[in-house]
Amino acid sequence: MLKLQDLTKAYRTDEVETVALNNVNIEIDHGEFVAIMGPSGCGKSTLLNIVGMLDTPTSGHYYFKNEDVAGYSEAQLGVIRKQHIGFIFQSFNLIDELSVAENIELALLYHDIPASERKERVATVMDKVGIAHRAKHMPSQLSGGQQQRVAVARAVVGNQSMILADEPTGNLDTAHGQEVMGMLQKLNEEGTTIVMVTHSPSHADYARRTINLLDGHVVTESMRA
Amino acid sequence: MLLTNYILSAWRNIIRHKLFSAINILGLAIGLAAVMLITLFVRHEINYDNFWANSQNIYRMHMTFLPSGRPPMVFSMVAGPIIHVIKKDFPQIQHAARVARKRATIIKGDQYFEEQISLVDPAFVKIFDFKTITGNLGKALDDQSSLILNKTLADKYFPQGNAIGQTLTINADAFEREFTVAAIMENMPENSQVNVAAMVSIVEEEWSELEWMFASWFSVNTHLYYSVNPGTNIKDVNAQMPSFIDRNFPLQDSGDAVSGFVELNSQNIEELHLKAPGNSEHREKGSITTVLIFSAVAALILIIASINFMNLSTARASQRAKEVSLRKVMGASRQKLVAQFIGESVFLTLFALLVSMAFVELALPSYNQIIGKQLSIDYGSSDLLMIVGLSATVGILGGIYPAFILSSFRPADVLKANKSAETSASVKLRAALVIFQFAASISLFVSTTVVYGQMLYAKNIKLGFEQNNLLVINNLYRDAADIKLALLVNEFRQMPNISSVTWSNDAPGIHTENNTSMRTPEMPSSESSLIGVRGVGYEYFKTYNIDLLSGRFYGISQNDTRAETIEIREGRGHASSLIINETGLRRLGLGTPEEALGKILYRSVGNEGENLEREHLIIGVVPDIHLNSLKKEIRPEIFELQPDHAQYISIRYSGDPLETVNLARELWEREVPSIPFTYDHAVDSVDKQYKAEQGEMTMFAAFSSLAIFIACLGLYGLASFTAERRTKEIGIRKVMGASVFDVVKLLVWQFSKPVLIANLIAWPVSYYTMTMWLESFAYRIESFFILGFCLAAGVAALLIAWATVASNSIRVANTNPINALRYE
Repeated sequence: MLKLQDLTKAYRTDEVETVALNNVNIEIDHGEFVAIMGPSGCGKSTLLNIVGMLDTPTSGHYYFKNEDVAGYSEAQLGVIRKQHIGFIFQSFNLIDELSVAENIELALLYHDIPASERKERVATVMDKVGIAHRAKHMPSQLSGGQQQRVAVARAVVGNQSMILADEPTGNLDTAHGQEVMGMLQKLNEEGTTIVMVTHSPSHADYARRTINLLDGHVVTESMRA
Repeated sequence: MLLTNYILSAWRNIIRHKLFSAINILGLAIGLAAVMLITLFVRHEINYDNFWANSQNIYRMHMTFLPSGRPPMVFSMVAGPIIHVIKKDFPQIQHAARVARKRATIIKGDQYFEEQISLVDPAFVKIFDFKTITGNLGKALDDQSSLILNKTLADKYFPQGNAIGQTLTINADAFEREFTVAAIMENMPENSQVNVAAMVSIVEEEWSELEWMFASWFSVNTHLYYSVNPGTNIKDVNAQMPSFIDRNFPLQDSGDAVSGFVELNSQNIEELHLKAPGNSEHREKGSITTVLIFSAVAALILIIASINFMNLSTARASQRAKEVSLRKVMGASRQKLVAQFIGESVFLTLFALLVSMAFVELALPSYNQIIGKQLSIDYGSSDLLMIVGLSATVGILGGIYPAFILSSFRPADVLKANKSAETSASVKLRAALVIFQFAASISLFVSTTVVYGQMLYAKNIKLGFEQNNLLVINNLYRDAADIKLALLVNEFRQMPNISSVTWSNDAPGIHTENNTSMRTPEMPSSESSLIGVRGVGYEYFKTYNIDLLSGRFYGISQNDTRAETIEIREGRGHASSLIINETGLRRLGLGTPEEALGKILYRSVGNEGENLEREHLIIGVVPDIHLNSLKKEIRPEIFELQPDHAQYISIRYSGDPLETVNLARELWEREVPSIPFTYDHAVDSVDKQYKAEQGEMTMFAAFSSLAIFIACLGLYGLASFTAERRTKEIGIRKVMGASVFDVVKLLVWQFSKPVLIANLIAWPVSYYTMTMWLESFAYRIESFFILGFCLAAGVAALLIAWATVASNSIRVANTNPINALRYE
């Protein structure tokens, strides 16, 4: 599915260069569930942003479906991104002014999909994550767990083949955290590739592979049997 | 101390939020400056003639004629004889006096000057408390050979300061006598419709040959002022006028009551500048409409600027929510916070005030030039207090709503979640205020274009005569020039570059109402029509390039001269040639221009009760010609040949105007040395009729642009704050696949909505008001043009709004979404 080769990301501010990722080599296959762990500032989020094509590497190669996208422009990346990648954030990142259904529909809005089909797909995915009864509510009227379920629904409604989750359980209590992890596991079983950044070892256990980052390097990779 | 803390906090807020502060201060400063300029103008206009000690009890009478079949003709002057009977009939009148102005030659030794001389009745100085420098005004007017001069004239003629007791000869045609300077008075203030520089008393016997001046009941040539006993209700006086008229005016042969076609009414002197009817003022009149319109514009500008202030303050409320919450946690009460925020806004406004004063001082010279006044701010007077008061009011009004919004935040909510602390109500109010701003701006924009369109139309309308290359020489009415008329015309005709020369009683832009009563043979004399008369010389139509619709012009060889009244009286009259305009044809029912030729008209001549009529033969028909302002509807008019007298000589020339003027001047000074040479280019006289409107239009356009600019400033500020507030949303949308264009579209649309709604409000309002405004013009652009202007204004407003928010939107749309999304 994707392959990072000698990938480096450096931030330059006034003559001080901070290396966030240093010669990272990672390969993720289609249908995998990968957890990325590491202490704060180790480059997890940078890695996720580059994988999610929200950011570009300073050097190295990023092959997405055998295509080296490392040198692509923002607009080119945007086209691939909206086709293939869904996002889930720690802070949910729902739009406060839009209802649950409208938030989910947002992921389809910038594709050429007729309104009737959008409605249908939004309804289906809301059923799937069990939020259909809240369709008309605004995000501020929902609990954190419910908001994250909306975010999950938004990430999958476009039939994205890969979901990038940035600490999806970070703002949730244990019970709601479990619930979201269960949903991600189910999506993975249905064939969606999942890359998740987490601090929680127990949630990392849902993944079949864990990548540990430290100071921009991959330190260990462990597979779960 | 708390106050220091507040001031410090206010000052730091100004410094830290440069964009916010700059927009607020600039917007308010421009707004305040505009309001101050308009207020200066309005205050000047509404404070005419209120400085007289007795102004509350001083009135001026005006006279209205109600001719059948024509709109009423209102004159600011009245018939001369009224003064002799008015005090007898109205015991509440203390003093009454006439004033008539006359251009006269002043002769000092062998030098000739021209001045406006005021001929007054002695009571004039009892009504008005003129400020005397030397001498006694009352005594001076009791003496028929005494002269009162104002300071300027006294200094002009007697620079050594020894004017009192000196003599000057005055030639006013009706008399030429020696006068002794008996008193000197201060120059009159500018803000008065009474405008006197040199005064002598009226000696009616000297005018016996010109009986229309003071003795005729149906000629209007003098203003009539009077003072009444305190407590007199002018309505009572006005109400008794019809019976006064019937008692005193000469009886009509028809037996009709004179009050049926003559009205007399009086107005308080303070009202004259803005509300006086008629045209014959001694100082230019103002317009109540203009005063009202500009007051409204000032109010709108002030509201637009205050709205900016309110909107920007509430828009960035979330930014300050933390400060508010912390102050509350530290024990600040809501009242104290409200006081702090109002204080901040007053502080900001006073700062803006300083900037606006600089603007006003910079703008005043050109402003004065445009409106033709001498306005200034007197910082030593209550002006300063008023200005500071105005600014403080704006500060408080603009600050009060944000203060209550800001101070209402609950610390727990704000500090916990750092959520958008705004309620949807304040967002809605902000949208409503933006809509109001744009509705006001668009209305102003439409009004400006309509006013401009009308001006352009007036400039380009076919006047019916060629105004360019036409030189008009004045002062022919003076006896010394009149006797040289034929000689002057002949000499002019010999000059190079002059193709034709004529003479007339009127000139373009000069309006004297001269009317006569005419009828066709079929009409009984009681149904005759009032027809305007223009006395013209030979070659008049050729010189003015006026086309002929049918027939012929007057010709020297054609025996077109009219029968004199004395010939008619003696039964020796003959059919006199006549040229009439198209409106005249319609009024008298003469058919087409061809059909009218050869028809007979009767015109009443001679004295009251003589029942004499002159027989006229129509020899030519001309189109309607706009010799006067387009505000006036074309009268039914006849152009009557007047072979030996004129007020003006008109010259059609080619080549250098200056050369022609110089040649004309040389000739004039050689032939008529006792009368100054004065002239006008016809094109200037035509333009001058719209000078007031043009000044007002420039003012209007300038203030409208300012209003729009201030509204855009606000929109710009609002757009930047909103974009900031929406960064998270924009980030999410971009992650979801929105392109830069999608995002820009979103943001721009957000600001297009209020502008579009504003159009829906502004269009009907401006259509209605501007249609009403246009009605004051007899010749005007069609109302449907206003719709076009509305559309144009709407599109312009939208484009301006887009341009204002676009740069910001593009910047925001281009930022990397991860910055917005990583942390809340």
